[in-house]
Amino acid sequence: MEWAEYNSCISYVGGGAVGGAGRRRGAAAGAGAAGGAEPGPPAVLVSAVPGLPREARLRSCAGREVVEPGRGSGVPGAGRARVAAAVWEPPRAVGEPNPSVRSNADPGRCVSSLPRGYEEEEQLHPEADSSNGHEIKPSPKELAELELLNRALEKALKIRKSVLKKTPLEAQRATGEKSAGEGPAPKNAEEQQVPVPLGIVPESTKVITVSKKPASLKKPSPCQLRAPYRTEPDVKKLQRKAPARCVSQGSRTAGKNLSKGLACKPGRSHRTAVSDGDTCVAAELQKTSGLSKSALNKQQSFSVGDSAGGKNSIAAGRHVFDAGKKSCGSLGESSRKEDPATEGVLGRSTSPQTVTLQQKGCQLKLPLPYRKAYSRNSRAWERCCLRQTNADAAAARNRFIEGIQTTFGSPMPAFSPAKIEKELKVLQDVPSLLSQYVEAELADHPTLQGEYESLLTLEGLQTTVSQCLHKLQLLRAALESQMRLCPDCAEDIGSCSPACVPPRGQMCDSAGVLAVPLLCYSSFQELRDLFALKLQVSMLHQEIALQQIIMAELLPVLESRLYPEEASAAQLYRAIYTQLCEGGKRFPVLADSSRLCVSSPES
Amino acid sequence: QQPGRGLPAAVGALCRALPPRARPAPDTLRRARFDRPQASLDFWRLLYALLKQIHGGKWTESDAIDNQIRFVKSALWYHGYGRPELYRLPSDGSAGSRELLLAFSWLLHRVSLLEQLLAQNRVKTGDETSVCTCEDALPSSQKTTTEMAPEYALGDRIDVRYLQWLNGRLRFQWRSLHAQHQEQCKLLHKIHLFTSGSHMDQILGHFSATETDLVRQPENYKQLLQLLDSETMQLEAYLEWKQLEPVYWQWMETVLDNMAEEGKMCESQDAHVEKSGLSKATSCCPWADGLTGQIDRLSRDLMTLHDQLHKLVTHRKAAWCEKVKTREEELEKEGFSAAARKIQESVELKLLDLTSLCAPEKKKMHGSCRLVFRSKHPASKTGFDGCVSKEPVSAVSAAEVIRDLQLREASLGRELKQLQEECRRRLDEIAEGLDRVICIPP
Repeated sequence: MEWAEYNSCISYVGGGAVGGAGRRRGAAAGAGAAGGAEPGPPAVLVSAVPGLPREARLRSCAGREVVEPGRGSGVPGAGRARVAAAVWEPPRAVGEPNPSVRSNADPGRCVSSLPRGYEEEEQLHPEADSSNGHEIKPSPKELAELELLNRALEKALKIRKSVLKKTPLEAQRATGEKSAGEGPAPKNAEEQQVPVPLGIVPESTKVITVSKKPASLKKPSPCQLRAPYRTEPDVKKLQRKAPARCVSQGSRTAGKNLSKGLACKPGRSHRTAVSDGDTCVAAELQKTSGLSKSALNKQQSFSVGDSAGGKNSIAAGRHVFDAGKKSCGSLGESSRKEDPATEGVLGRSTSPQTVTLQQKGCQLKLPLPYRKAYSRNSRAWERCCLRQTNADAAAARNRFIEGIQTTFGSPMPAFSPAKIEKELKVLQDVPSLLSQYVEAELADHPTLQGEYESLLTLEGLQTTVSQCLHKLQLLRAALESQMRLCPDCAEDIGSCSPACVPPRGQMCDSAGVLAVPLLCYSSFQELRDLFALKLQVSMLHQEIALQQIIMAELLPVLESRLYPEEASAAQLYRAIYTQLCEGGKRFPVLADSSRLCVSSPES
Repeated sequence: QQPGRGLPAAVGALCRALPPRARPAPDTLRRARFDRPQASLDFWRLLYALLKQIHGGKWTESDAIDNQIRFVKSALWYHGYGRPELYRLPSDGSAGSRELLLAFSWLLHRVSLLEQLLAQNRVKTGDETSVCTCEDALPSSQKTTTEMAPEYALGDRIDVRYLQWLNGRLRFQWRSLHAQHQEQCKLLHKIHLFTSGSHMDQILGHFSATETDLVRQPENYKQLLQLLDSETMQLEAYLEWKQLEPVYWQWMETVLDNMAEEGKMCESQDAHVEKSGLSKATSCCPWADGLTGQIDRLSRDLMTLHDQLHKLVTHRKAAWCEKVKTREEELEKEGFSAAARKIQESVELKLLDLTSLCAPEKKKMHGSCRLVFRSKHPASKTGFDGCVSKEPVSAVSAAEVIRDLQLREASLGRELKQLQEECRRRLDEIAEGLDRVICIPP
């Protein structure tokens, strides 16, 4: 969780403090360069290399945490830009989702994988990781540090879980986790990447994942980036012993679910079931169980075979394993979730496998009273929808409306407030859209025709922009005159807000639409995208609102230097910078220029 | 002149077509026609209930009457109702029933009151999801932020770390919400897929989650059946109303005429009151501020774009004229003018899209819709052939909604970026003032 990172970040400002959670193995390598004054670990020490822009070098360090050995103090000509400042870097490498393994974005497991770190742009590359792991053998001291780090992260995870447990889903998972009872962390990180130690939690989580959360029906496309974020199960890659246990656990649970499903009130069937098509279903079943078996085998061979942990093979293994998991998972789930639904139909069924919505769904029938009520209702809707206002009524009505509107006081503004809102809503995305068009026309055109077309388009765009600007002026004028008419605002300054709560929903009118509003989707992926996008839009709304509030409240504090003591200035600055400029996702590096002076005489 | 027996029937149908929770007694309308004071309170309540439903607000019958009246007045203002007499009605609700009857009738047509209420209160048996972003556009007016007592905020000093922690938590909650949405999608889709062909409504084709549960335990859905039935009755009343409607409007004309006659007498007295009450311009209203802010932002963005385009067009035009001048004969030989016409047409076509997007008439779905799964491969579907042709006009495709959402996302993203840029600028200035600290952005 990010705040854990934040805290560790904050505890270290300017290179003095030692953030325990921030320790990284590689950092120790560069510790000497600071003149021995610092214990160092959270600090990657960089002294200048001639000819390389400072920023770029810092960046490369931040990305890989490789501090060029031997370039520390003795480099000749290192007198120019010398930054021996301590550079803090978030401890992101540990427990971070592996960005290269993206095949899986199952929502169910998303939740369980939440405790892991967020995916960030600045992630360590797995290649860098593994190469590190192979080249540098950890010293006992480093191992001790790792141990410490482990404990810190474990603690962070516990806190997260306590948050997680709030949803019933999570509670379920949490109990499963307890029963899974995993062993301690593999302390030995010899041939593994940094993330190894975290194996503890993932393992258990994974077991639960298998048993409780089946994989998605369809393989989600790997590059679904529109989601507000991508949570992904990063868990599996380090399993050594888990797979076998995992699957067995999964199938055991699934079996339990199945039997439970069967046991539940088998006598209550009051509908007859058409039960053909069982054969193909059974065949399908065999296929899936076969798949799960083979997947299991493959997974085992992987886990024994590749000690190097080449990421491709691991990814592949995981992929296959997922498939296996899916097959047993979906069995478990469909029976768990849907059996009561089909139970009425298939009450006397003997084979556990047939009790799913998947197989009997197309033969289900809604109860008769509902069917009757529903069709009466939908017929009524249909008739209302087709019903037109007759001419008599329309004429009388229009006379009345015209008559009443002549009695309206002072000349009414061209737009009612509702209309203003509506018009603005129409315009809200226009600048963005227009600039897309403009950008498309920016390139030079080789042919005369192309050039001419581009010119015409640009002129057309210019006209549109002018029209929109004109419209905005009209709206602004209308709004001003409307505000003069506003009953509450005119009466009682300051207390208008309760009634001025924008009457919402007006935007959603589309008057007279009595037809059944349907939203058709054609694939699972589309549905997921739709939901993710809606959430993303809501999130952006909130982000913008928060940004504005924080800007209004925190920037003045920094600008006016009203914060308490000098020491916290950098801290505050970084916090605000992170929040306001990077959306809380990335950190600026604050270098202490006085340290620069300390280290330069040495070289 | 009283339109005989048709009127009570019309008024009766109208009342029954209104939602049960706000349904007035037909008598209220009749009494209001004679401006009886005892009807005025009922009428305020009626309008309050109806308008609250339209605007999706929470309300109870016991809300303070002056608040109710205030709300009704401002909602009428919002919709552009301009009879000054209405806004002058006393805030204790003691008078003005005929004035309210007029306003009600005006709303009936201008806001399509009945239709909107019917559509909005539609009994939901399907898996609904909203197709517009309207609900998000306006931040909640309830300023409850101060109510949260932060444990870390002792005194008036709040550690910035607390803010960061909150932010992290917020992001985490979004994340789990996302995960849960995705999970919901998955389950919904399963239900839709597995039950396809089961629904007797062939337009839908499959069950919703509610209906699946209904199959499982029908005894829990007695209320749903009742709701459906009562809605059906309401719809039938609506149909009846549509038939009898002319009588009502004729009646309203006579009411208006009566008002006008009476109004002439007291007009002279009112004139000065009106002026003083409505001439103050205020900017206290957050709603108006929000809109003004939006107009400002849009104008700024468009102005930037305008300037950019202006430069670009002038530049290109000059270059173009130059080119044409030097190669005039050559171009004529090639028959460029014909080609030019073709290009003009294609550009017009290209820009047509754009202008339609800027037009207010753009047909846009709002509110919530029932999710329906339509496989792209009808062959794989067991079930009815030909049901696809029965596609209702009101159906909107997910692809369309996704496109709109993407546009919205892009433009919100831009807005956020702009804000961040502004912050970066200001923070850079601050960093220059800090001692001994060099800030290296990530």
